[in-house]
Amino acid sequence: MNRSHLLLDPHRRGVPGVARMRRYRDDDPVDMAIVGCGAGGGVLAQRLARAGWRVVVLERGPFWDPDRDWVSDEAGSDHLYWNDTRIIAGEDPVEMGKNNCGLGVGGSMVHFAGYTPRFHPSDFTTRSVDGVGADWPIAYADLRAHYALLEQELPVAGQRWPWGDPHGYPHGPHPICGAAERAWEGARACDITMRVGPVAIANGRFGNRPHCIYRGFCLQGCKVNAKASPLVTHVPDAIEQGAEVRADSMVVGLEVDGGGAISGVRYQRDGAERVQRAHAVAVCGYAIETPRLLLHSGVGNDHDQVGRYVMVQGAPQIAGRFPELLRMYKAPPPEVSSEQFYETDRERGFARGFSIQTVSPLPIGWAEHVFADGHRGTALREYMRDYNHWAVLGALCELLPRAENRVTLADEADQFGMPRARFSYTQCENDRANIAYAKRVINRIWEAAGAEDILTIDRYAHLVGGCRMGTDPETSVVDADHRVWGVPNLFVCDGSVMPTQGSANPALTIMALASRLAEELAARRIDSTRRRAA
Amino acid sequence: MSAADPAGLPRQRRGTTPQMHGRYPDFDVLEELDHWDERTRELIVARVESVPRRRFFSREEFATLAAFADVVLAQDREPRVPVMSLVDAKLGRSTGDGFRYDDMPEDAETWRVAARGLDEAAGGSFADAPPELRERIVDDVASGAVAGAAWSEVNVKRAFAVVMRGLLEAFYSHPWAWNEIGFGGPAYPRGYQALGVDRHEPWEAREDFDVDPVRDVRERGLK
Repeated sequence: MNRSHLLLDPHRRGVPGVARMRRYRDDDPVDMAIVGCGAGGGVLAQRLARAGWRVVVLERGPFWDPDRDWVSDEAGSDHLYWNDTRIIAGEDPVEMGKNNCGLGVGGSMVHFAGYTPRFHPSDFTTRSVDGVGADWPIAYADLRAHYALLEQELPVAGQRWPWGDPHGYPHGPHPICGAAERAWEGARACDITMRVGPVAIANGRFGNRPHCIYRGFCLQGCKVNAKASPLVTHVPDAIEQGAEVRADSMVVGLEVDGGGAISGVRYQRDGAERVQRAHAVAVCGYAIETPRLLLHSGVGNDHDQVGRYVMVQGAPQIAGRFPELLRMYKAPPPEVSSEQFYETDRERGFARGFSIQTVSPLPIGWAEHVFADGHRGTALREYMRDYNHWAVLGALCELLPRAENRVTLADEADQFGMPRARFSYTQCENDRANIAYAKRVINRIWEAAGAEDILTIDRYAHLVGGCRMGTDPETSVVDADHRVWGVPNLFVCDGSVMPTQGSANPALTIMALASRLAEELAARRIDSTRRRAA
Repeated sequence: MSAADPAGLPRQRRGTTPQMHGRYPDFDVLEELDHWDERTRELIVARVESVPRRRFFSREEFATLAAFADVVLAQDREPRVPVMSLVDAKLGRSTGDGFRYDDMPEDAETWRVAARGLDEAAGGSFADAPPELRERIVDDVASGAVAGAAWSEVNVKRAFAVVMRGLLEAFYSHPWAWNEIGFGGPAYPRGYQALGVDRHEPWEAREDFDVDPVRDVRERGLK
């Protein structure tokens, strides 16, 4: 049960229930304190509040009001991103910020493109089947019902999905723009199947959420309330059910009692440091902040596993130039996609695979693409004047988890007095082979579509791992119940628990994991108040 | 017309573009601002009409970096998008972009190193150096080959990327640049309806000039 879409106002975008939201005192131990109100924390809060739990979500960023806080403008949307400095290192450093880190109620989904594919059943067994990565301690079947439920709640629009576990979507496919038409034609000419969607964007009115108007600024926050984020899909119901979402509250430490259990979270708000007491805590801060908080608190790291196996997806962008005007800024950037290359094909010479999706950058994003291709000055201006002739496809390549790709604490502090995160990342040979192959496939698509020229650049997308789930405390951080090994009442519920990442965008799977954990907690199949085991 | 523009690039007839050329001479996105939501309108009108006063960089740093920006953005005459004013304002707000390479200082410091390094390479003020020298120095910065005490403090290619990221964001955040490239701009609450190939909204304009930049840039030996 989730009435969020009915609790919103049809004419204003902000969450109406904020003003009369229940408030908990710091010294009143809540049943669950949740750190971070994104895909994981937002869903967990809604589900637990529905089950009658007393829940406080501490969110570092603001409680967004899309009417007031968001604009249809690339440069004017910096405040949606986690802009505190992370130090990046390794042989293939991953740039952070607007591409992969969110802030505020709704988290990264506020500015995600909107793609919500499921993971494939094969994602959960890559070690035993493909000989790479890791096996999950849970299976696809454990998430299946949660995927289907969330696809209703978001809702997801798209054509029937033939890959992985085949399934349909509650909303039909959106119309596509000229750029996606060209991608579709090129793929068809290469015998590559594409599908429209799946995107978490309402195609038709959904309760009090209007349908999409194809304005193209999905990555700058949806001013329409058509695109899903927990701000509109789960927080309204969570608040109505008695949860408190305490915005502008930066958690800086976990409080540990004498028995090794967590007694609350230390946080800063309005310049003052406070402690919210809690019987249990779920950290939902994503692949950088969750490991940073655990490492800084000295919790759950007996086996030096916290912060390891952080993954990104190789996300090269390949642009094709066409004689016609395509105006890729219209319609959502996520339009058509293919998962035909998702699983291992030994003939390709590497393990696992990639997906293909339209991306459609706005002018600043396109300028970064042209610059990355090596242009400046007059040449750059000329490429930019040609903006409306280009269509862009991206790959999402499954890069493998590696212990040395990790988050550690830097020896400099941020404005909260917490050590900054340092993220070191290096690809392996399988990763490089996968990315190179994906680029060749997309080049073929554009050639078949009749592109006159093609530009290819390298980049990354998404972040998962860092507190992976497993069956053994020596090789993982949490168990199959998301409980941190050795800490009875501390859970991690975000993308950081993923042992592998597939070639799917992670948002829907993060939500599905939260939905499953909440179901187990609410049914008391997991005892969140357990003290240290004997 | 600048010698570096492709032959036949139209002069702007409506509204403003940087250097008054572009492919959509009859398109002015600023004529649409009554159709934008109030927050977006306020922000973009301010970007055009209220050029922020310099407060982050020194006068000398600003002049050097503005001359550098003219080269890398091919802004060889007025009207220019005041990119350095926009960059200065952003650095003054001290909102970083969320990351820093481990061999680099904070972005704000990188900009200052770049200003010092450019002057050093020019043997005086970069802004006063002859155009050919400025072009050559920019080439050396882009390739990482530039030398000097200031540049030795940073990874030059990464410093170039930091500065270019800031300049490109400033330039293509400006509605004059949207006019030049035919970008329809903000579309809330109105939305877009003409989604197909070779279609445009009633208020958007036809393209009056079409050359494949990949071929043209290659044939003319541009970078």
